Amino acid sequence: MSSVIMTDSLTKQYGSKKAVDRLDLKVPSGSIYGFLGPNGAGKSTTLKLLLGLIRPTGGRIMILGKEVNQKNRLSILAKTGSLIESPAYYGHLSGKENLRIICTLKDVPFQEADRVLKIVRMTEQQNKKVGQYSLGMKQRLGLAAALLGSPDLLLLDEPTNGLDPAGIQEMRRLICSLPEKYGITIVVSSHLLSEIDQMATHVGIIDHGQLIFQDTLSSLHEHSKSWIILHTDNDPEALKILKQAKIPAGRRDGKLVLRAQKDALVAEAAAALVHSGIGVLRIYEQQMSLEDIFLHLTGKQVSL
Amino acid sequence: MSLPIIRQLSAEQKKARHRKIWLVPLGFFLFEVIWMLWILTTAHAKELVTGYLMLFYQLPVLNTVILPLMITVIASRLSDMEIKGDTLKLLYTMQRPAGFFDCKYVAGTKYLLFFTAGHGMLIPVYGKIFGFGNPLKISMLFSYLAVTLCTSMILLAIQQTLSLISNSQFLPLIVGLAGSFLGLFSLFFPAPVARLVIWGYFAAFPRVEMDWNRDTRIIQYNEVSFPLYAFFAFAAAGIFIYGICRTITVKKEV
Repeated sequence: MSSVIMTDSLTKQYGSKKAVDRLDLKVPSGSIYGFLGPNGAGKSTTLKLLLGLIRPTGGRIMILGKEVNQKNRLSILAKTGSLIESPAYYGHLSGKENLRIICTLKDVPFQEADRVLKIVRMTEQQNKKVGQYSLGMKQRLGLAAALLGSPDLLLLDEPTNGLDPAGIQEMRRLICSLPEKYGITIVVSSHLLSEIDQMATHVGIIDHGQLIFQDTLSSLHEHSKSWIILHTDNDPEALKILKQAKIPAGRRDGKLVLRAQKDALVAEAAAALVHSGIGVLRIYEQQMSLEDIFLHLTGKQVSL
Repeated sequence: MSLPIIRQLSAEQKKARHRKIWLVPLGFFLFEVIWMLWILTTAHAKELVTGYLMLFYQLPVLNTVILPLMITVIASRLSDMEIKGDTLKLLYTMQRPAGFFDCKYVAGTKYLLFFTAGHGMLIPVYGKIFGFGNPLKISMLFSYLAVTLCTSMILLAIQQTLSLISNSQFLPLIVGLAGSFLGLFSLFFPAPVARLVIWGYFAAFPRVEMDWNRDTRIIQYNEVSFPLYAFFAFAAAGIFIYGICRTITVKKEV
């Protein structure tokens, strides 16, 4: 699968602080690339670097197979759409008038505005002044603006920020439908792991400006270790018995766990405990959640 | 690839819809119409003999007070929509920041041109209505309009920059208001100091001098030659100031 975005040691430094530190992004074509990280990790800065809104301190950016520089930046970005931080709009104009301004700048026919308004389901509100829109409507208008001119790539920075649950679901559905319907590659940033989990096919995790994980979402899930939890009527005694029987066991979050998942070992542990007179109340398997993985990777509490 | 300027200007035109920005220069123009009417209706018949000279003496002073305010409001009306709507990060993915600044400036200059042209027509119209004794010298009219437009355009560049780099329009409005007062006071400053106050340049290239005789209490207006080279130097400085303003705006990260 070819990469729509590739960066090579992309760096942005403000004074002595590296906001983005030697980032090597690879966004496969046709994917929804979830760009995940805690607040202040460098997500927006990275997206702004990709769009040429800020200049990198070092490194290279390749978008749609071309290295981006100041000369070709706009011609490359003509094939992209973006929604950065918050929707951009002219509050004194209607939704349709807003889109027509972008049509003019992108040199696409005004009929495009009608097409994208249909996609984001805003045809009924198109003549209302944007200043009177709810945040959810503004976000959808922002997405419509990004879709003008049928871009090959969409960069969406926290597109569900500030939306109510219904708005979040609506936006998520819209984003998920785009690669299949229109063949668009999407980079969507978020600090919400659950959101990325529901949308993305690929994930990049950034923390302190550094990319600490990048692969498919399924690969991230594979990182989740599973544990066998034992509930007994005397856990301290049970642990002693298991150790004496040389069965790999220990404590995790106050629970008695087996460190291996082989069925034979589980049976051996249960037998050892029962023979020693320990009452085995429950044996079950627990998987490391994505939150645990995120915590493990970033060392930070994740937003849910 | 740079976006054709015509498309960028067309976008600026579309953005200004419903903003009624033309009401700003129109309002200030009407103020000048009324002010001139008042001056001319209260003037002595002797003064009306040299009516054009009287106007060319008084109008630059009036411009020093009111035009900085008009320019501030125009720049603010054109620029605050970008700040309020957080549009720069979207626009800069479609047009070069420098191109955006230039087109925004052209959009603002259009109103200054309308105002100045209206001014240019108003003076001879009043001359006819009030029957000024002396003929209107076209060179005097054009030099007056050139100074007015040039100073206005330099102030527009400054105000536009302030409006685009500030998160609120409070600072540009304060600067515009302060500039108006400073411009007026600069007329009483020593020449080397007055030269540092851009807002005062509306009256810095006078074509008319006033001679007031304390004993007879008679005011006499005399024509003086236009300091063409000084004006060219001022216009060149204006281009330099525009370049600085443009660089400041372009360098600002969005």
